[in-house]
Parts: sequence; structure tokens; C-alpha cells
Amino acid sequence: MGPFDTSLVIAVVGLATPILFAALGELVSQRSGVINIGLEGMMLNGAFFSFWAAHATHSLLLGVLGGLAAGAFLGAIMGALTVSAGGDQIVVGVGINILAVGITTFANEQLFTSGGNQPSIEPMAHLQIPGLVHLPVIGKAFFDRVPLAYIAYLMVPLIWYVLYRTNLGLVIRGSGEYPDAVETSGVSVKSVRWCGALFAGGMAGLGGAMLTVGNLGVFNELMSGGRGFIALAAVIFGRWRPVGVLGACLVFGGADALELRLQAESSIPRQVWVVLMLIPLLVIAYMVVRSGIRRIARADLIFGGAVFLAGLVLAVVEPSWRVPSEFWLMLPYVITLVVLAGLVGRARMPAAVGLPYRSAAALDS
Amino acid sequence: MMARIDPVRLRRGALDVATSVAVVALSLLLGLLIVIAAGYPAGATISAFWNGAFVGSLSLDQTLETTIPLVLAGLAWIVAFRAGRINVGIEGQILVGGVTATVVGLYVHAPLGIHLPLTVLAAMGGGAVYAGVAAALWAWRGVNEIIATFMLNLIAALFVTYLVTGPLQESTHQQPISPTIANSARWPAFFGQLGLSWDLALVPVGVALVAWTLHRTTAGFRLRMTGENPEAARHVGVSVGRVGAVSLVASGGLAGLAASSLLLSSQGGALQQDFSSNFGFSGIAVALLARNSPIGCVPAALLFAALREGGGLVETEVGIDTSLVDVTFGIVVILAAASLYVARRRWRLSESLRLRSLRRHPGGLTDTRL
Repeated sequence: MGPFDTSLVIAVVGLATPILFAALGELVSQRSGVINIGLEGMMLNGAFFSFWAAHATHSLLLGVLGGLAAGAFLGAIMGALTVSAGGDQIVVGVGINILAVGITTFANEQLFTSGGNQPSIEPMAHLQIPGLVHLPVIGKAFFDRVPLAYIAYLMVPLIWYVLYRTNLGLVIRGSGEYPDAVETSGVSVKSVRWCGALFAGGMAGLGGAMLTVGNLGVFNELMSGGRGFIALAAVIFGRWRPVGVLGACLVFGGADALELRLQAESSIPRQVWVVLMLIPLLVIAYMVVRSGIRRIARADLIFGGAVFLAGLVLAVVEPSWRVPSEFWLMLPYVITLVVLAGLVGRARMPAAVGLPYRSAAALDS
Repeated sequence: MMARIDPVRLRRGALDVATSVAVVALSLLLGLLIVIAAGYPAGATISAFWNGAFVGSLSLDQTLETTIPLVLAGLAWIVAFRAGRINVGIEGQILVGGVTATVVGLYVHAPLGIHLPLTVLAAMGGGAVYAGVAAALWAWRGVNEIIATFMLNLIAALFVTYLVTGPLQESTHQQPISPTIANSARWPAFFGQLGLSWDLALVPVGVALVAWTLHRTTAGFRLRMTGENPEAARHVGVSVGRVGAVSLVASGGLAGLAASSLLLSSQGGALQQDFSSNFGFSGIAVALLARNSPIGCVPAALLFAALREGGGLVETEVGIDTSLVDVTFGIVVILAAASLYVARRRWRLSESLRLRSLRRHPGGLTDTRL
């Protein structure tokens, strides 16, 4: 049916994977109380240094580790300056983004492009999961990927388990919600947040490695291209929950894939409007199943109904519009604002996110 | 009448200045170390940098011209920050201010005396309205203004890309750029200088206006009180939501003014995809280094302007890519963000009331209407 076919699903999953890495890192970091706007820079750093390591050592594994280390290095800067030194998380994040653009562009120029030709490496080979790869629709999309991609998807249940079923998870969530309680129980909030910052950096670095070593095999200046920001949006759209974040990444990846697909079309085909129509129905059905029909706010119903009607009208009329790609690319950010404004359900940030923590003992001195 | 100088204040002020100077010195030193490590001559780099930034009428003009939007962006941050609001959307507000200014500049025809003020007002209005979106979301829907302004940046950047490749593109449709704005809507040259225009006047006017409003008016007092102790402000009947929203809108207006300087100076004149080129984020760095003092923005902005302009000549003369300027710049931002707390803790000066009240009332960023 028009643009919706198996190859679109493959493209969606492919585009979602690097974002998922960064978003899962950011999820844990924000849950521990550190908001990391430097995600974009950490991804870019990971992309460059994983390429550099893979190029220098001819080992893809070392390349991936290089990306991990490069991201974690910026994560450590984040930890040192915000958690230990008490600097403003937002400002340090902005600084990290600028720093990473400078470092990668400068190093790329010095090491690779000054000679004129851009080197490349052989990216990772796909690893098919026997059996599962033959599943209809999702088989090739989810089970014919590079090994690194599987790590991203395996991280979703892993992070869910750690956050909600272990002591460590309780401590992480506590540091972001009510750090005094964590400190009182004898766990150092600062060390928890340090780990959160490092984890976010490392994961964003892996997301960057996914772009170079895991996919293209070359590094281009500014190649993270806003994916770090989309990951930030995905954490909010996913309401700070692992499965939600996975869903958000797939939705944003889907918007991206659809945009690429529709560039070839002269106008938006009817199927897109039908899907737009179906989304609010599915969301509301999910909400009914989850929390019962009485718990659904009227504002949600009105908003969902409006989207449904708009989709219906557009599907019937099928106007000859071509939405400029920039508007498609805006979607993740607009959706994030809509979600935050509470038009679609409720989104609540971890309560203590963004605040420097000083233990009571340190405050009194 | 002479105001009595408070010794604690004086000590704190001296400490702030010393910290900022140390941050700058350390960052420049780190940048220089990278230069040496990459195998470039240090002496030639320093002299090219100095010449590019300050030596000769044209270099100096360009450095001063770059200083103007940096000061205004720094002031934009300060106005919001003093009310306890974080506006990381200055970049986006500059972009939208640039769009509205371009529209008025291109499609309104009037003599300079009318056209220029109209275009500048359009820029301010665009920035203010765009900040107003975040302010409204914050005040009415409780949306964290940091996330909102940040997302609005990304939306604005895409919107400008769309405009300069679509509706506002120049007639041959070759370049992603708007037609050139008529001279009647541009800042006239400053005493016939090539690289400097009359928007230079915005620096003293802007600094004085912001400093005076913050420290000598009731509105400014309310604003500072809201920022420093929202609880107390509410108790004396100040509407914390309104003050916060107004401060964000004012901040956006100043960002729009920065856009007018970038777009309508003698060197600009047309809307481009990246005409804001990080000036909004640089404004944050300027304010940080200035320790949120309006007057302090001037030397801080001058430094960043020198970095940008000096870096250009270093590239052409020594061959070091200007991305090294970004590296140095990033280091300044990061160190400046952390140094305040380190320095104050080291000197055992009490931290600000805002942090204390936030610590006592866990609610943090989420409870933005505190």
C-alpha cells in the first residue's frame, strides 16, 4: 500500500537505532537527575572517534569502543563540572555541543581531509538471526541488522529491568526525584549522578559509532545532524520510560523515513492521511485498555478527535500538497512541545532534574 | 550622593572578575596548547590572532561589529536569568526576529527614518513573540521553559531553512539566501567606516537600559526578587508567573534586537540559513563570563568577538582551521559554568538564595512556577 511497505519498516528501524542509543542513555541520566543537552555533541564525538579508531586499528570492535570512550569522556566532563563542581547542567551541555563540533571538525581536518581525499572503512556486516529473520514485515527490519544495533534493542528490556526491578534502579530514580531520601539511605547522590552522566555519554558515543562504523563507513563534519536533539525529544515523548522511549524513537524514525520516501512523490498519498487518522484511535484505545475509560481526560479526547477528523477530511479530499521536508523534520520537536503542554496525556519530568545536589552536611559548612 | 560601598559586595565582585579572567586565560592557554600540539608555530598564531582582532581599522571595526549582537544576546540571557528563567532559545529568537525583519525590510518601502525603526521593531517583535510561545507554555501549561525554548530553536532553524530555499529565496533560486534588504532598512555606516554601522549605539543604550531597569525601577526589583526568592516574592504579592513570562518575552525582544544588528548592518543585508551562527549560544557564554552583570557583557562580548575575528585571520595566515575557535569557545563556556561555584565555595561565600530555597523545597525544575 503506497509508501507503507516492508522496506519502509526496515528504514524506520535503521533510522531509529542511533537515536535509541542516545535516548536510552539520556533516559537513565535524567532519571538520576542530570539533564544532558550535550547529547548531540557526545554523539558527534562518538561518531568521529569510532571512525578514527576503526580506521587506525582496522578493528571494528576497537572502533566501537573508541566511540564509547569518546562519548563517555564528554560524559565525564559533564559529571565533573555539573555533579562535582555544581555548574549549571544546561550551560555545560551547550558548551559540550560547541566543544564537540570544534574538536571533531578540527581533528577531521588535521587527520583526514587536509590531503583532499576522505578515507573510508568497511562498515560492520549484517548479522542475521536465524529463524526470526523470516518473520513477515518485521523480520528483516529487526533481525537483519549489524551486531551493534542488537545491543541498542537489548538495552531496552535491560534498562527497564534495572530501573524498575533492582535496588540500583530505585536509587537512580530516587536521585532524580528526591535526592535527600537517597542520601539519607546512605547512598551518595553525587556518585549515582556521575554514573548517570557517564552512561549517557557512553551510550551517545555508541549512537555515534552506529552512524560511522555501524552504517556509513565514513565520517562527515556535523554528521550527527540533530539526532542528539531528537533523542532528547524522544526521552520526553517517551515520558521517561524505557518502552516509551523505544516507541518514541520508532515514531521519530518513522517520520524521518516517511519524509525520505515522500520526497519522490508529487503529493502526499492518501495512505498517509489514513495513518494519521488511525494514530489517535490507537492511542486512545491503548489508554482505555491501560487505565479504563473513566481516566481519560476530556482534553485528550478532543485533541484526538480533532486529529482524527483532520485525517479523515484529508484522506477524503486527498489534496495535492507537498509538505516541505523541513516541516517533516520539525515534527519530533513539535510533538515534544505538544506532549509537554499536556495536550496528549501527562508528561512529568523527574522532579530534581537539573538541580545541583549538595548534601546537607556540605550545605551547613 | 555617594552610595556606600559594601565590602562583601566588593569582595565578591573582585572575586567574580578574577575568576572570569582566570577562565579566559586558562581557555586561551588550552587553545594555544592545541595549536602547538598540532605542530603550528605559536608566535605566528598569536600575532595573526592579535592582528585579525584588533590591528588596523577594518579588523577593529569588524570586531566591534561582532561585539554588538553578542552584547545584546548576553543581555537577553540576563533579563530572563535574573527572573529565575532560563532562556536557551536566544538562538531561535534571533532567527525568527531575522525573519520578521527581512519581511518588513523587503516588502515595506519607506525612507530611512521610518523604514529602519520599523524593521528593527519587527525584529524585536518577532523575537519577543517567539519567546512568548515558550513563556505562554510555561505560564499556562507548566512546560519547562528550558526544554520549550530549546525545541523552539530547532524548529526556528528548520523554518528559516525552508524560507530561504522557498518563499523568501532570491529571484534566481541559485543560493539559499533572501534578496538583499534595501539600504533604507539598514543601519547606516558609522562615520563612514566600512565595517561598522550605527547599531553600535545599541550597546551603550541596551546596557544602560537593562542595568537601569533591573536596579532602579520597581519592575526590575520585582524581577530580581522573583529570581532570587520566588517564595518571598509571592508572599508580597508579586505574580511570579507574570514576571517570569514578561522576562522571557523581554529577553526575546533583546534577542530580536541582536538579530537586527546581525541582519541590518552593512555586512549583512540578507537572510541566510545560518545567519545567527551560534550568536544566541555565544550570548549565554557572554553572560556567564560577565557573571550576569549587564556592564560586564561588554568586555566579555569583546573577547568572544575577538576570538571569532582573530580566528579568521589565523586561518588565512597560519592555516589553522577556524574550528579551533569553537574548541576554545566551548572550553570557555564549560569552565565559566563551573568556575563560579568552585570559586565561591573555595572562598566560603554563601551561595545564592535561589539555590538554597530550591534545596529546601524539592520541586526543582519541574515546579517552574514556584
